[in-house]
Amino acid sequence: MSTPAQEFLRSAAIKSADLEHRRTIRAGIDHYEAAVDRAGARFLDWEAARQRLHEIKWEAVNHLDRYLLEFEMRVKERGGHVYWAETAEDARQYIADLAAQRGVRTVVKSKSMVTEEIDLTHTLEKKGVTVFETDLGELIVQLRNEPPYHLMTPAMHLTRAEIAKLFGEKFGGVESDDPQHLVAVARRALRKAFFSAEMGVTGANFLVADTGMIALTTNEGNGRLGSSLPRIHVAVAGIEKVIPRMEDLALIWPTLARSAVGQSIACYNTLIGGPRTASEPDGPEEFHLVLLDNGRSELLADSEQRDVLHCIRCGACLNVCPVFRKVGGHSYGTVYGGPIGSVLMPHLGGLSKYQHLSFASSLCGACTKACPVKIDLHHHLLHNRRNAVQSTERPASERLAFRLWSWAMMGERRFALLGSAARVLLRGVQALGLARTPLDPMRPWTEVHAAPAIPKKSFRALWREQHGAS
Amino acid sequence: MEPAENSGRERILARIRSALRETAPKHAAATSSGPVFAPISDPLDRFQKECALNNTECVIASDLRASASAIAQVLASIPPGEIFLQDAPSLRRMAPLWQEGRSIRWSSEGGPAESSQATITCAETLVAQTGSVFVSASCGGRGASVVAPVHIVVATMDQLVVDLDGAFARLRDLGSPAKNSMLCLITGSSRTADIEKIIVMGAHGPRRLVVVLAWQPDESARS
Amino acid sequence: MEQRRKRIGAVENLKETCPETMHNGQPMQTIALFIPCFVDQLNPAVGIDMARVLRRIGYAVRFPEAQTCCGQPAFNSGYWHEARPVAERFVRVFRDADAIVCPSGSCTTMVRNFYPELLAGTPILAEAKSVAARVYECCEFLIKIAKVTDVGASFPHRVTYHDACHALRELHLKQEPRELLRHVRGLEVVEMPYCEECCGFGGTFATKFPMISSAMGETKSINVEASGAEYVTSTDSSCLMHIDGILRLRKSSARTIHVASILAQTALPSENASISTVAERTR
Repeated sequence: MSTPAQEFLRSAAIKSADLEHRRTIRAGIDHYEAAVDRAGARFLDWEAARQRLHEIKWEAVNHLDRYLLEFEMRVKERGGHVYWAETAEDARQYIADLAAQRGVRTVVKSKSMVTEEIDLTHTLEKKGVTVFETDLGELIVQLRNEPPYHLMTPAMHLTRAEIAKLFGEKFGGVESDDPQHLVAVARRALRKAFFSAEMGVTGANFLVADTGMIALTTNEGNGRLGSSLPRIHVAVAGIEKVIPRMEDLALIWPTLARSAVGQSIACYNTLIGGPRTASEPDGPEEFHLVLLDNGRSELLADSEQRDVLHCIRCGACLNVCPVFRKVGGHSYGTVYGGPIGSVLMPHLGGLSKYQHLSFASSLCGACTKACPVKIDLHHHLLHNRRNAVQSTERPASERLAFRLWSWAMMGERRFALLGSAARVLLRGVQALGLARTPLDPMRPWTEVHAAPAIPKKSFRALWREQHGAS
Repeated sequence: MEPAENSGRERILARIRSALRETAPKHAAATSSGPVFAPISDPLDRFQKECALNNTECVIASDLRASASAIAQVLASIPPGEIFLQDAPSLRRMAPLWQEGRSIRWSSEGGPAESSQATITCAETLVAQTGSVFVSASCGGRGASVVAPVHIVVATMDQLVVDLDGAFARLRDLGSPAKNSMLCLITGSSRTADIEKIIVMGAHGPRRLVVVLAWQPDESARS
Repeated sequence: MEQRRKRIGAVENLKETCPETMHNGQPMQTIALFIPCFVDQLNPAVGIDMARVLRRIGYAVRFPEAQTCCGQPAFNSGYWHEARPVAERFVRVFRDADAIVCPSGSCTTMVRNFYPELLAGTPILAEAKSVAARVYECCEFLIKIAKVTDVGASFPHRVTYHDACHALRELHLKQEPRELLRHVRGLEVVEMPYCEECCGFGGTFATKFPMISSAMGETKSINVEASGAEYVTSTDSSCLMHIDGILRLRKSSARTIHVASILAQTALPSENASISTVAERTR
């Protein structure tokens, strides 16, 4: 049974060498960057937008109890239920019990990372409930029995030919691999589910405190159907999703759309407050909002990294990450991948288990620059590394190496001496033709690089020669 | 599912309060508090341009009577079958022009049927900045703007606001958040880019969104 | 002695050929050279070249021999406890320097952006911030402090610039190296696709995750080749060492060279390195 770290290394090695995968991802990312540029033209001052968004989330998260209580009160005023779930188990149990009590046989579900986090689908299926993923990308990976590849585009690693074959097997009636046709096939297949399901499950992009409404963003309309047709609507959201005012959405919606997919704004930005009112012609009779903690309150207590809770789940950090472009979305092996996942998973799932993700980065900082809410992502990777060294079992050889390093760096004579010795050794290894063998101390390097020329004299030696001692 | 069974609530709140005893740093504002979006000098022009970009058909009519005729023309291009209408006085007045060979289901009878060919509703407001329509559950219910392949919106020019800030202000003025269990900002027809990141129009929601915008409600309103 | 005389003469000659050497009405500072540990041990020519350029434009330079390392390797690996004394030592070594110039964006970043955090709560913090305010990456110093764009360099080749991550995103340097390159005689700057994408070195990342690191380097190398450049240059020789190792593995004709080494090249035969030492610099 391999550890998550070992699994990551294995998958990363395979994917990094996969040139077809590289091409597919590059094409997708090029598309995205062009769209982001176009959407950027609408902003007079993108940096001001980021700063204001940061301030909105800062206010919400740093007064979380106040805003959550306001939100809960207003949801209840509208006739909705609010359930506070401490753990993933807590949350899925509540929903499973609700489904059982209400005789739910079919659930339509729209894309929601938090429902992945609590593993809701498997729980419901084990109780004999049929669950339809209605987001096209999620549907595709569900049919393939795969986890989603990417926060925003779960199936971006697949070609249309592969999807056509899949739909042909599962739905029938597939005549070509034209994306237009494939979407129509999916629509036909899912419509029956939408109209017969007893329960619709969605996430929530934001919880609007002052109106007691959830904000739900989709392009396909599946979230709309899922929250309109079935008689029960269940929405699941992390406790950090709250925002103070409905008016905040005037800035959030365009900014989120740009960062996520390079749109000016998403097709459907919906606000839902509780079940249908007495005078409305349709809509669910029941509304349940499940608030999930699952480690978020602990992250809240870490004031250095509290801003990780500002994340609006746009996926921009994944899109710009050079490591993501090589290892792909599945290598992370976690619900949240990419830079945000690498920062977040140690908090949600434990430092011992997930610290390797914080080390698997060159700290280039592209994520921090792209983040629309200005989370200090790559600096938090450093913080996680420091925390890992301070509180978990790092390899003994590594601890020893850095203690030695520290000693060596505390004196220029010993540094110069050790440096000389190292260069003599490396030159010797090269001269004896031992590069890339087990006797090569630079083997991890020389295996994938042409051997570097090792200079005979250091800078300080040359300087001394030219200028005398200083 | 009663509150008494939700013991986690107090524990979560306690953890939150304890966590917040320590303040977290905020980024110092590096930029001015000026406008984030470019100012819009001609809202109607902007609205029309945005509609063209997001695949919304925008029809301008002189008054609601002309709107009704325009909608009759749109309906002529749609396959025969039931259409669903928001039960509003203005639509009741216009409906006779649309009844040719079609059955009409009104929102007072419930939600739209699965086989509806089109829905026709009013709106809360229109937004120039993004070429969007803001509907609510009062506009024929939740399904009205998403079930059928074609959604037609009947609006008047005074409903057009410049930007999203203006839209939310208008909703507050109308009391919309309090009166409705659903509000939705619709921008264009439903779409997906989940296959090779190629945009395909018409996913689960409507394939066509038509906004029919009348300069004024009726001829006699000209001052 | 003969060598020294020749060198001084050459410097004087150069001053005549570079009429734009700056005089901003202030007394020349003495620059303290901050030579990163790996430049000291593995790329010494880069340090020599940077010193040469600074002298050419009229600065006196000194090398505080007591320096060793800024502490970044340990800091980046999470070993802050081990990095701290090394950082404190750096502050003490450079406490009296007027201006500290470094041929590395990542090391400059360590001192400027990370010392305040690493040394928070220590007695040396105020002094560390003071040192941090006086440390500059080489191109940054030339453009922003010395206010020179033409250092009298000559390098008639097609060159592409790799935006090293720390220099770009932590020090916000984008135009500065390019501006200096544009003023090098005979040099044609060509941009490569995805010039801002990380090369994949990342310090210990390269040894912990070599397959990802080398894949990223491979992409960078392919982009260098696509630019049609004869040389790829950057502010950081760690990036260049990584790119170089992969370019040569691919049997690419493109070579790497540090910006300081380009700027050190002149048209004067006595100052110019012979082909063999150019090869040493460029590997």
